[in-house]
This record gives sequence, structure tokens and C-alpha cells, in this order.
Amino acid sequence: MKFPPLDFHPPKGERLVLPNGMILYLLEDHELPLINISATIQTGSFYEPADQIGLASLTGALMRTGGAGDKTGDEIDEILENLSASISTGIGGDSGYASLNVLTRDINKGFDLFADVLMSPRFSEEKLEILKNQEIENIRRKNDNPSPIAGREFAKLLYGAETPYAREATLETVSRIKRQDCVDFYSRYFHPDAMILGITGDFKKEEMVQKIANKFNGWKKRTEPLPSLKPIPVEFKPSVSQIEKALTQSYIRIGHLGVKQSNPDYYALSIMNDILGGQTFSSRLFKEVRTQKGLAYSVGSALNPGNMEVGTFFAYCQTMSKNTVKAISAIKENIKKMQETPVTPEELQLAKDSFLNSFIFSFTTPSQIVSRQIYLEYYHLPEDYMEQFRNEVSKVTAEDILRVAKKYLHPDGLTLLVVGDPDKFDQPLSVFGPVHTLPLSSN
Amino acid sequence: MFFRITSAIILVTSLVMSAPAITLGDELSRRVIKHEFKNGLVLLMVERHTSPTISFNITYKAGSVNEQTGITGIAHLYEHMAFKGTEKVGTKNYKLEKPALDEMEKVFFQLKSERALGDRGDSVKIEKLEEALDVLEKKGESFAIPNEIGEIYGRNGAVGFNASTGKDMTQYVVSLPSNRLSLWIALESDRMTHPVLREFYKEKQVVLEERRLRYENSPGGKLYEALLRTAFWVHPYGLPGIGWTQDVQSLSASQTKEFFKTYYGINNIVIAIVGDIHPDQVIAEMAKTFGQISAPSLPPPVSLVEPLQEGERRVHIEYDANPILEMAFHKPGIGDPDQMIFDMIDSLLSDGRTSRMYKHLVTQKQIALTVGTDSATPGEKYPNLFVISAAPRAPHSPGELEKAIDEELNLLKKEPVTPSEFQKMINQFDGYLVRSLESNSGLASQLAYYEAVAGDWKYILKLRQEMEKVKPEDIIRVARKYFVDKNKIVATLSKPDVTVKAP
Repeated sequence: MKFPPLDFHPPKGERLVLPNGMILYLLEDHELPLINISATIQTGSFYEPADQIGLASLTGALMRTGGAGDKTGDEIDEILENLSASISTGIGGDSGYASLNVLTRDINKGFDLFADVLMSPRFSEEKLEILKNQEIENIRRKNDNPSPIAGREFAKLLYGAETPYAREATLETVSRIKRQDCVDFYSRYFHPDAMILGITGDFKKEEMVQKIANKFNGWKKRTEPLPSLKPIPVEFKPSVSQIEKALTQSYIRIGHLGVKQSNPDYYALSIMNDILGGQTFSSRLFKEVRTQKGLAYSVGSALNPGNMEVGTFFAYCQTMSKNTVKAISAIKENIKKMQETPVTPEELQLAKDSFLNSFIFSFTTPSQIVSRQIYLEYYHLPEDYMEQFRNEVSKVTAEDILRVAKKYLHPDGLTLLVVGDPDKFDQPLSVFGPVHTLPLSSN
Repeated sequence: MFFRITSAIILVTSLVMSAPAITLGDELSRRVIKHEFKNGLVLLMVERHTSPTISFNITYKAGSVNEQTGITGIAHLYEHMAFKGTEKVGTKNYKLEKPALDEMEKVFFQLKSERALGDRGDSVKIEKLEEALDVLEKKGESFAIPNEIGEIYGRNGAVGFNASTGKDMTQYVVSLPSNRLSLWIALESDRMTHPVLREFYKEKQVVLEERRLRYENSPGGKLYEALLRTAFWVHPYGLPGIGWTQDVQSLSASQTKEFFKTYYGINNIVIAIVGDIHPDQVIAEMAKTFGQISAPSLPPPVSLVEPLQEGERRVHIEYDANPILEMAFHKPGIGDPDQMIFDMIDSLLSDGRTSRMYKHLVTQKQIALTVGTDSATPGEKYPNLFVISAAPRAPHSPGELEKAIDEELNLLKKEPVTPSEFQKMINQFDGYLVRSLESNSGLASQLAYYEAVAGDWKYILKLRQEMEKVKPEDIIRVARKYFVDKNKIVATLSKPDVTVKAP
């Protein structure tokens, strides 16, 4: 069956800048009586001091639970839950967020609380203790499930254990964090000109802009910009590591550092990755490792572009211990093959059609549309990035894919990590090179 | 895979939120179009033109509750096989492929009989049969086009092409650009009538990997399996949906196809379609395809009834992970008036930061890292369990946590729930109802679920109305009746205690 391309022009959020430097994106949508407001804030755990890992995430969480304005955290919980509204806050690697989701009828109450949480969090000592205790318990439990171990330790191998991109909170760094540290971290980064608000849903634009301007009007601009981060040295040296744990399956990750989102070859690379292991049912890895060999339930590859630093490229699977080397070999061969022979015209067409025909799903809700506009501005990507992406993908050829595979894949410089029970492997991992047995850090 | 749809998260909308009880149902009642085809197929539609996309949901009123020991995992295995194609899709030449698949079945049956002899089996014969099966598998595969159905969908811009097997039902889902309606109709009506179980033996290995991933190497999965096994001695809710390893190994393609024939008839299905559609056109197109499928006799009902529990049950798992705890109580299924009271207790105890258990155990006493409740585990159609899951915060023990949970349950038996707690539950419910309309796929899934499991999607509207009539005494009565030691099951997991290990 043949279908014509869909003619669809999604709406766009309108961009405004307030006198205090705060950027707004607004998109009205009156289908449901709901309003959604999100703030994206220039901060992140990448900027926290090395001896206080965990500070950013605790600060982010405490803004919500520790009270704000004239209300305690418990009072805010009560009000929101009675309204069936929610406010959440958090700080991730290179950005912070706050969001409000509220029924239209409750917008005034909800918005006042949201503004208080952003501008005047109280950082209650007692609530900080609760968060610290929970974080310590999470650290205690971090080795209970194998998948997170593989993810975390693999990042350390790629970026270096001490870099902001891979380091982790420990009992020691968390115990050291005091209330004042949270206050200082917050004061440094939370300012109107370090923030982009996205507002979608059932509101009237003029009213909403006025409401926001009135509320955030007197808030002081920031005095210092984001600190700069040390660049990551990019190397492609092969290594083989294992972490011993009594499991019936091996949790495998194999790959290396990748590219930035702004890299002009990212379009072709992303289609290359779809063909290798990115597409659920039709990728080479899925077909060979899962369907034809029956070696794994979950198998694939990921090309995560970095926003600030280079991202990662890796393949993953879980397989019964006695198939470990067999599965790794199959994955390695497929990575190598990507730079030896061009992809077939059928593979290329399928990958491009899948991408282009599912493109409309990137615009199904107003909040999805506005979130992406904010993302592009936050990471300094062009406003028409999505359209560019679509156009570039439609032009990608098999030669392009071969070229980028040769340039960005390093089959001889792969980092391999296996979490599992080496006594039960089909062959020792030493068939791939000298093996480092890494300790399972438990603090 | 399957995640149970939490009974508290339900849909419905109202554009006038100030008087929800009256208008909630009206809005959704107005928008949901129900059409029943002559062959018994039920179709639910919601027309919504916010984006040129459609979400499709096919829900079979059959799942792992229709299994017994010996064939555990068969519904889930069938779900995997449903992605392998049909007589038209996924094959280079079905005429040549079929004899190879048939031959494979014969060899596998011989192999299965020999393996069943255990130590008395002939190992040379087993080896030969395994080799023969391997050869036949390769022959079969030479005709197969792997994952063609997924590729066709992919090429046409599908997202979320997947399926899940629950205890009570099996859902097949996909979302497509709205001009692909006829593609979905053609592919799914074919998949429903002429499935071919190719690559069957390889796929069993994949399912066993899934079992390792979700249950063997996951402390939560391990404990959950033990909890169900301990709670149900007779009813199939106690069996693992993914299947026992040996059962999965011994299932044959013909057995699995037989299960399909028995349970997956057109009259045992609900289809929900939400998005950029024109209902009249959908009905007309489906009448020509789905509407022409003839209805078999209805499948046999689940007749096993779990006998009354006669005393507290406990199970403990030793595993290399920090402690977790599950407590459960037997209770009735959907359709019983008490089910709704349990939904409310669920919300009261663990929904949000102000819920009782979160407030008392996580933030005030700080003896728990997490606590959650569920009002219908592992299914909802038959009598099931109210489950409380929690993780203690060191140095607090699972025992301490259990005691604190017991105290919370006892409180329910003594003190009436306050009017403000009641109002909050209702407000939260209304909020959920509005939000559930935000996504096409979520709405399709909820509509199909309640139509399949409760017999009518309008169950959710009724639930909302009935909630307002519940009295504090009702909660006290239900708590007193069910939260008793005799009806309790406790499952714990922790690291082996080296001090008490046998020499």
C-alpha cells in the first residue's frame, strides 16, 4: 500500500522576553481545562564542587519539599494534593527544572506557589535531613539491580570516574552537605535571566504574560555566568572490564565516546545507528542477536549526542551467562561491518521512511512542541533544527553512512564492560584483550 | 511484558470542573462511540483531531489467567509469536515453508517425550533429535522474512508498536499517521486470522532471556513471583505469567496455536481507536475485514476458585540485595462493591506525599525508603490481592516496617476517615480523569481495559459516582473484614544472614 505524505503544519509557541531577562514560550490549547508551566534553568550537577557530589540534586529536591514563601513544605503538599495539582523541581547534569501542572480553575493558587518555589524556597533543615537520609539509603541500594551498575560504571570508563559526566554521590559527599550549601547553590544559579518558561494549555496569552511579569518583576538578575567545564580528552583505546556478581545473565555494554548534537554528521550517524541497533524491530542487532540467534530479550545500540561535551555510542544486551562471548562477538562484528560495507538500499530506505513518516509524532501535544523549542534555545541549536534534521535525513545516502561510520566508529577502540558471573561465561573475556576486574564500589 | 493499569488512574473529562459528579460522565459519554459488529467484536472510538495521528488498541479478553501448570507462559509466548507474521507477511513462500514448520513439530514432539523420561531418556537419541530440529529450524528460517510486520509498520511511521500480556487480558498497540488507517486494518485483520508461528524455538530462548532479566536477576521480580505463589494455591493468578522455565521449554508451536484458537476469537475482543478518525468511515472499513471474521464458540471460563486462606502465610527469599517487603490480603475482584472501597484505601494510603503511609512511614518515622499500595494484584477480574510494597531504610528492619504498616491498617479499622481526606480523594480522582484524555494511546488503553475486564468501559463513570456515596463506616467495615492475620501473606527478601547459615 502507498500513502501520500501528510500535509501537517504544527503550531509553534510564541517567544517573548520579559524586561528581567526571563524568556517565555507560550502556546494556547483549550481542549482540556489544564495548564502546564515549566521552567528550564541554567544550572546543573556538573557545576557542583567535587567534595559535595549530590548537592545539586538535593538542592533541586529541597526547593519543592522544604517550603517556600510563607508556607511549609507540608502545607504546600496539602494545598497541591487537594487541588489535584502538582509542582515538581529537580536539577540534573546540565540543567534544572521546575514545573506546574494545574486545572485551569486553580491557576492562581497554583501559580503563586510555583513562583514562591522558584523565588523564595525556605530550605528547611528538617526536610534536608530527610532527603539526605533517603539519598544515603539509595546509595546503599545502588548495587541491588544489575542494569544501573552497568550504566554507571560504563560512564566512568568512558568519561573518567572523576569527571562531572560520570562521578557519583557517596555516603561521604552527601553527609557533608549542609543547608547553607543548598542556599548558596540556589542563590548562585536561580535568576530570571537564567530561565526559560514554557506555558501551554488553557490560558489567555495577554493575561498570562501579565501574571508572570507581575510576579517575577522584582527578581534580581544573576551576577555571575555559568562556570566553564574542563573539556574531556577524547581517546579510543580498547579495554575489557568485568564486574563480578552472582547473576544468571551477563549485562553487556560495548562502545566509546561519540559526538555532539551540533555535529553536522549527526543526521547521517543517527540513521546509521537506526540501522545498526536503534530501530526496535528492524535493526541488524535486533534481527541477528535476538531473532536469529535467540541470545537476548533486549539488544540494541544507542547514539546519545552530547549537548555540552561529546556524547556516547554503545551497544547493549543481556544474555544468559554461557552465551556472553558469543553475544559480544556478534555485536562487535556488526559494528565493524558498518564501516566495511555500505548499507543496502532497502535498509537505508526503511530507516529513512521510518524516521520521516513518524516525524509528526514529535508534534502531537503543545507541551511537546514548546519543550523542544526551549531545548533548542537552551543548547544553542538553530530554531529550525527539526526541519533541518528532516531535510538532511531525506538526503542521506549509503555513501554518507559509510563515511560517517568510518569517521566516528572505532571498532578497534571499544570499551567493553560485562557485569555477571565470569565462572559461567562460555569463554573468558580475555579473548577480547587483557581483562580488568573492577571492584563493585559500595559506598 | 505487562504493567497493570492502576485502578486509580482512570479517564473521563469535564469541561466544567466545578460540578464534576454531574458533568464528568456526560463529556466522555458524548465522545465515546461504541459499535458492536455482528460477530461480537466490540469497537470503541474517540474522534480527536489535535494531531494527524491515531492510536490503536486491540485487547483480547484472555491472558495468563487462562493457563494451568504445564502450559504456564503460553499466553505471553503467543504474544511474542504474534509479531512473526502470517501466511502472507513474514514469508518468502508459505507453501514451501509450511511443510518445514510441520515437520519441526513432529520432531519436537519426539524430543519432548524423550526429555520427559528424565534420567531414563536416551541421550544419544536426544542429541540426534536436537540436531534434526536444528536443521529443520534453519530450513524454516530460510523462508522467513524476520520482523517483516514490524518493518512495514516502521516504514509507515508507526510509534509504540508493542504488546503486553496481563493476567486478565492481552493488548496489542500501535500509533500511526492518520492516513494509514487502512494499512492497520489490513495488517491486523490478517494477523488475527492467519498467524504463523515461525521461528518458534528461537523465540522461546528470547522469552527465557526475558524471564532471566525480569525475574531471576531482579530482586523485585523474584519477590513478586514468590508472593503470588504463596498467596494462590489453586487459582491461576498464582502462576507466573512469563511461565516456569520448564514449561516454556516444553511448549510446542501447535499447542500454542491451539491456545490461540481457543481464546483469541473475534467475539472475545475489544478494539479501541482514538485520534484523527471519522467513525463512520472506520466502521465501514472494518465491517469489510474484521466484520467478516466468523465467531468461534466462546472460550471455557476460568472455573478454579481460590479456597479461603486458613492462616497467615510467609515466604522469605535470600538474595544479594537490600531488604524489600510485600504484604498482601485476599479480596474480591471487579464488580464487587468492596473493590471500589479498596481503590479508595489505595489512594488514601499511598497516593502522593500527603497520603498516610508516605507521610507516616517515609517522612515522619523515616523507617521506609519507599512505600506503595495496589488495590488489585495481579489482575482484577477474579478475586485478587491488596498489596503493600515497601523498602525499609537501614538500620530499620523489614520486621519493624511490617509492624508500622500493621498499625496503619489498624488505624483504618478504628478511626473514621475525615471529610477532608474524602474530598481530597475525589478531587484527585477528577484530576486524573481530565489528564487521562491528554494522550490518545492512554485513553485507548483505558477504554479497552474496562470494556474487557469490567464488561463495560462506563464502569469508570460508575466508579466516580459511587465514590461520592461511600461513607467512613464503609472503609472501617472493609478494613476490619479483610486486614486480618488469617488473611495475610508476607513476603520478604534480604541478603543471606551469614550468622545463621547452616554449617
